[in-house]
Amino acid sequence: MMANTNGYLVGSNLERVLKAGHFAVTAELGPPQSAEGDVIRKKAGLLRGYCDAVNLTDNQTAIVRLSSIAAGAILVQEGLEPIIQMTCRDRNRLAIQSDLLGAAALGIRNLLCLTGDHQTFGNHPSAKNVFDIDSLQMVQMVTAMRDERTFQCGDSFKGPEPRFFVGAAAAPFADPVDFRPLRLAKKAKAGANFIQTQLVYDIPAFEKFMAKVRALGVHKQTYILAGVGPLKSPAMAKYMKSNVPGILVPDELIERMELAGAPWAGKSKEELTKDDKKARSAAWQAEGIQICIELINKLHQIEGVSGVHIMAIEWEDAVRPIVEGAGLSPRPVVTESPPLAAALG
Amino acid sequence: MDHQAEEFQVSQMQIVAYCCEHCAYAAADLAGGLRIPYPSAIKVVQLPCTGKLDVLMVLQALEAGVDGVMVAG
Amino acid sequence: MIIAEQKSLEELKSLVGTAEKVLVVGCGTCVTVCFAGGAREAAITSASLRMSSKLDGSPKQVSDVTVQRQCEWEYLDQIAEQVGQVDIVLSLGCGIGVQAIAEHFPQVWVVPGLNTKFLGLPTEQGVWAERCAACGDCILGLTGGICPIARCSKSLLNGPCGGSEAGHCEVSPDIPCAWQLIYDRLTSLGRLNVLLDLQPPKNWRTSRDGGPRQIVREDLRLHIEED
Repeated sequence: MMANTNGYLVGSNLERVLKAGHFAVTAELGPPQSAEGDVIRKKAGLLRGYCDAVNLTDNQTAIVRLSSIAAGAILVQEGLEPIIQMTCRDRNRLAIQSDLLGAAALGIRNLLCLTGDHQTFGNHPSAKNVFDIDSLQMVQMVTAMRDERTFQCGDSFKGPEPRFFVGAAAAPFADPVDFRPLRLAKKAKAGANFIQTQLVYDIPAFEKFMAKVRALGVHKQTYILAGVGPLKSPAMAKYMKSNVPGILVPDELIERMELAGAPWAGKSKEELTKDDKKARSAAWQAEGIQICIELINKLHQIEGVSGVHIMAIEWEDAVRPIVEGAGLSPRPVVTESPPLAAALG
Repeated sequence: MDHQAEEFQVSQMQIVAYCCEHCAYAAADLAGGLRIPYPSAIKVVQLPCTGKLDVLMVLQALEAGVDGVMVAG
Repeated sequence: MIIAEQKSLEELKSLVGTAEKVLVVGCGTCVTVCFAGGAREAAITSASLRMSSKLDGSPKQVSDVTVQRQCEWEYLDQIAEQVGQVDIVLSLGCGIGVQAIAEHFPQVWVVPGLNTKFLGLPTEQGVWAERCAACGDCILGLTGGICPIARCSKSLLNGPCGGSEAGHCEVSPDIPCAWQLIYDRLTSLGRLNVLLDLQPPKNWRTSRDGGPRQIVREDLRLHIEED
């Protein structure tokens, strides 16, 4: 089943779109905190046709959720392409390899290797963490499983190898900022085929980061997808600015969000009717989507940015208007083999 | 002085006063020189400095049965 | 050194239970230096238990003694007689001390008076911080003398993760980001190139993951020749 990838590493839709030189779009889907598979099917319906692949988070923010691989399998059934996220927090090298063999057998073709949020953030802060390997070592490990058919221990194995288009994350604005392009280069060196970044709101800061990335030639070794996400309210923007490490939200964007809610600004909490709140929320969301579209258009212009990764967790129906608004719909269908010159990685 | 404290007979009490020799102890000395009385319940222990006081000294006094410990310095 | 912290008096009372004769054993080494279980703390614990048991209406006989090191048999030999006279030993040693007493005096019920916290140092008066995880395969030569195994919340070998902010770890503003420290130090020493190499997965067998560890030095062992 894995033999003929027709000139592709893996032949996943994401790889095809990127190698054909299209500006790729991926979106994020958060599995539910229950065994309700229909939630995934419903969210998949919102994303269908508006992205090239869908990220499935792995116990995001260390909160127990339906597994990313199981959710990925549901997406495969639904005819969407999953990118399963895998963190180093919950599994050792045995479990990661075993689960990835299973994921490959279930038809999953894209993988995002992450360190993982510390468990103290989540709903099981008293849990023991694993961190047997780190995200770069995971990239190396799964690349060797794919390209050399060897397990991390060095043993080679027979039979079909798990073929993943391997991704990693980048946090352009986390500290130490000067080291971030170098760490990204390490990830590319480890074998990352694509990169999805933390949310970008500050375009000039991201341009500076990309200039350093280009100077290192990393954009020619791996496809970089810039992370974007629609703001839902001024409060969310302010919260991210001050509480989430590695996210820069310019004051100008916060002001735009506040301005969108200005017609209701004079009223006290008690004065606001249910309809007022609904209308204000709709105004904020429209502005958030508009800002997101503008960010995508600016990111599209930056050399070395191969696509965007839209993170609209628990707001999956924002993806369609964003993708349409940015002129990225319909999504391309790539059937032919990759042009040799464009074959990165 | 609250109600509870009034019920005590001061003369029957035992209070250890840990005093710094440079101030509180010297003051007690001076009081003696000036014939100013203080309750006989107070047993003064001279310390070179109240910084020398250890939790253990307080515990030892309390364990020995004193009613209170005073630190002056 | 080993850093430990005293358990609460309530927990100590519950551990001692109904035992009437109690011997509090302090240790004169690491836990003395970190003010958790030295002679002074043993005397205070002993007095506290005496007084609180008296207040509770069932006075216990509590005495205390402190040895140079609870983790060596010859120092424990010195208190064998006292240990033999009590119902329970409350050790103010680290976890090693408690186990040494249990191992050396098989008939004695011993309970811990401290929580052993970590291997570290005092960064200032009254503040102790972890420095070593005893992983058994020291990598400080790769990281400018700052240990990511002990000091990075995720023990990353190719850090920092995306949670590093303004010099501190995502877990707490009170935890310095080990990888920021490593980055700063290697930058100031002009050795940043060290960080550009990918560090391979660690062999955790030398750590606790390989099972309880033991070192045997044949050159130091005493071999008694049999006739």
